[in-house]
Amino acid sequence: MILAGLPLAQLAAIFGAVGFGVMVLYVLKLRRRVVAVPFSPLWERILRDKEATTLFSRLKRLLSLILQLALLALLVLALGDPRAAETFIKGRTVVVLVDASASMQATDVAPSRLAVARDEVKKIVRGLGGADRMLIAQMDAMVTPLGPISGDVSALERELDAVRATDARADFPRALRFATDVLRGVDRGEIVVVSDGALGPASDAYGPVRLGSAKLTYVRVGKEAKNVGVTQFSVRRYPLDKSHYEVMLELTNTGPGVEDIELQLLGDGALVDLTRLRLQPGERLPRFYPQLSGASRTLEAKIARVDGTHDQLPADDRAYALLPARRRARVLVVTEGDTYLEAALLLDEYLDVTDVAPKAYPQAIARGDWDAVIFDRVTPSELPKAHALYLDPRGPGAPVKVEGELKNPGFDKVDRKHPAVRFLGLETVNIASGHKLAPEAGDKVLGASDGGSSPILVAGVRGGYKFVALGFDVTGSDFPLRVAWPLFVLDCINWFTDEDAEYLSSFRTGDVWRIPVGTGAAQATMRRPDGSTVPLPVHEGRAVMLGVDAGFYQLMVGDQTTSFAANLLDAGESAIAPQDRLVVDGREAGELGGFHVGVRREIWIYLLLAAALLTAIEWATYHRRVTV
Amino acid sequence: MGLIDVLPWRREKKVVSAAADDLFDDEFQRKLEYLSLVSRRVFAGRLRAERRTKKSGSGVEFADHRAYQPGDDFRYLDWNVYQRFGRLLVRLYEEEEDLAIYVVLDTSASMGFAGGAKLRYAKKVAAALAYVGLANLDRVSVVTTSDRVTDRMPETRGKARIFKVFRFLREVEAEGTTDLGDALKTFVAQAQRKGRGLVVLVSDLYDPSGFEKGINVLRYNKFDPFVVHVVDPGDAKPRLHGDVLVYDCETGDEREVTVTAKVLDRFADEYARYLSDVERFCATHQVPYVAASLEVPFDELILRVFRRGGFLR
Repeated sequence: MILAGLPLAQLAAIFGAVGFGVMVLYVLKLRRRVVAVPFSPLWERILRDKEATTLFSRLKRLLSLILQLALLALLVLALGDPRAAETFIKGRTVVVLVDASASMQATDVAPSRLAVARDEVKKIVRGLGGADRMLIAQMDAMVTPLGPISGDVSALERELDAVRATDARADFPRALRFATDVLRGVDRGEIVVVSDGALGPASDAYGPVRLGSAKLTYVRVGKEAKNVGVTQFSVRRYPLDKSHYEVMLELTNTGPGVEDIELQLLGDGALVDLTRLRLQPGERLPRFYPQLSGASRTLEAKIARVDGTHDQLPADDRAYALLPARRRARVLVVTEGDTYLEAALLLDEYLDVTDVAPKAYPQAIARGDWDAVIFDRVTPSELPKAHALYLDPRGPGAPVKVEGELKNPGFDKVDRKHPAVRFLGLETVNIASGHKLAPEAGDKVLGASDGGSSPILVAGVRGGYKFVALGFDVTGSDFPLRVAWPLFVLDCINWFTDEDAEYLSSFRTGDVWRIPVGTGAAQATMRRPDGSTVPLPVHEGRAVMLGVDAGFYQLMVGDQTTSFAANLLDAGESAIAPQDRLVVDGREAGELGGFHVGVRREIWIYLLLAAALLTAIEWATYHRRVTV
Repeated sequence: MGLIDVLPWRREKKVVSAAADDLFDDEFQRKLEYLSLVSRRVFAGRLRAERRTKKSGSGVEFADHRAYQPGDDFRYLDWNVYQRFGRLLVRLYEEEEDLAIYVVLDTSASMGFAGGAKLRYAKKVAAALAYVGLANLDRVSVVTTSDRVTDRMPETRGKARIFKVFRFLREVEAEGTTDLGDALKTFVAQAQRKGRGLVVLVSDLYDPSGFEKGINVLRYNKFDPFVVHVVDPGDAKPRLHGDVLVYDCETGDEREVTVTAKVLDRFADEYARYLSDVERFCATHQVPYVAASLEVPFDELILRVFRRGGFLR
């Protein structure tokens, strides 16, 4: 027997001090109420009889004192928290990983898998032994410990109430690594995974997770798997007709039966399309909606069963997307006249093109507020304060140094990843002559001749403004005759105005989102789908956030507001069939054991109960006049 | 009342004033007149002042025998008895004379306990008996006692003297300890007519030295004692609980008591036993006895006294 609470010396001191007080109270005579009586001899006669039982009275008084001291001893001993040495040493350290991924929102068990998981964990908490310690962690896209390692049952139960479901997948390897870190160096470590088992393999970029000596236990939650989810949803504008857009989505039936589904597509809340579909078990059904038009900014896909009911996981029955903002770009063309260039610019009706002669350039650029400037075979004396496309730049005003002339250069090497030249077939362009460009540090060579050694197309940033420089006169090539020409011009303008095909119509929950912020602010404010706001740090021009909820978001920086959408879109999470087995590190997780509700090895509880019992006995005997 | 008077350890013996202004009001006097009439109707035909003493004397009505003592008058020897039994006995005769009624009122502190209800009641009883006696042309005297004779109203006769009795009783206050033995010895010594008269003892009989002593003093001195025992039912059920220090309101004797329901029950039994002891003593010694409970109206009590006999003959 050892004392886990106050040490013995301290207990003895407390007992001595309080016991002395109790003794003093017993020794001191009680101050009695003084009452007059008309004839005291009558009382004398009674008291004479009572005196015959004085010995018994003294015995009762002594018994009362002993009872009080016994009560005190019990309470003081409880303060010491005595425990059997064996149980104290062999206490377990348990890390409970509560799955809070999207699949735990499934309602195949009432009211939801997460609520059932909470109840299961509460049972485990109540079955903790006296020497056991527990840490509860929420497992979703990240791992969130809900409190410190504790043996306090009420505190652990309170922590459980903070668990809430997310719209993200669970990062099981990360959670396991967290748990093994917690249990490192602990003798009797145990990891309890409370989940539906849809967790994926227990390995990540660092390799498979090693459990070490920790015991793994799996508590399965859930029983059915009837679900149809939206597993892909994307929208984009057509590059050459940005007034129109197309939508791609994919539905997956992860359940065991045939499902009749009604699919709704909503634009800004208004119904755009309604389709009825039948999905076979396990079927993944892609759907395209080409040539959609309208002023919609938000798109939402909703599915429901034909009979109006929801399946067992409502979380993946909706998907959200946001169309890129469409605005008219103001383009200044400094040229003596170029039909090919004018024709290319005519293809995009969302461009406001202003042609000026080189002489009128200073006045035109002074008016400012240009989204892009195209210098057609002319070069300004100084860099403009706008994004610029240079066609055959010359002289000291060029953004890059123009070096020696090249005879019959070609695009031997093209940077396919850059948005200005992506998807363009430039390799076959024939060029009579051009000039080698000398990029500066940080510039990107988009196209180069002579096997890649002579840059002829360079992109970069000067003074905070983007530029693209083409090192030859397009009229001396067949480039304007090719389809790639207008696309090149428009891609450059789109890159300048950030309207490129890389636009993400939605983020995926569970990922770290890096949302571009136009200004140089260090902090942004995010409004979540539920209306709450949260400050976000801005790192390298992007607001960073780990998103776990699906829906529409708004990012506010100063007076600028950027909207975007987030979706689950995870076929793995939509597959809600609970797994019977959980295998980690080559070991199958065992069943839960050793947690029995009501079994506490903390003796102090029983000491308190004994004290309460003694008090009850004294109360009863006092009121029944046994001890009075 | 000063602040010091309310302090818990300030335990002066309380003196209950007479507060008798409303004791002998018109209503009370009407009741006295009624009692007087009732007494006449009940005892009609009797001569006034025909109260007789057991003193053997020159009367004509045989009373009793007693053994002959040397020096007795031979004329009173009962020769018939001598002839039949061979014993010398002297014949006693009751001597007729008008005797006095002494109303002895206990005015010890215990009579003033609990607001003086017992004293007020006792005063009414004393006044009523005195009135009936005066109306019957007996000589009536009122004496107050505690451990001594504290005051005395001289013998008087005639109904009109009742106001003198009222005045005397109004001045009476409860104080002092009880010692009926000593007090009545003094009374006997001071009595104008030794051994003659009815002594009505109105008292709660809370005498530490024993109630018997006082009654016996009267008996031994050939007075006719009549005990009116004033009983306050509240005395049997004191409102006490817990640990208390009880003290005697007369003697100041203290005693620590832990009062519980059981103790209260035992006290009630003891009190009942005390009452029965008094009654048994009086019955044994042929002393007329009436228990005067405060719950019984005083006029009803007076009628009980008449019915009990011994007061009017």
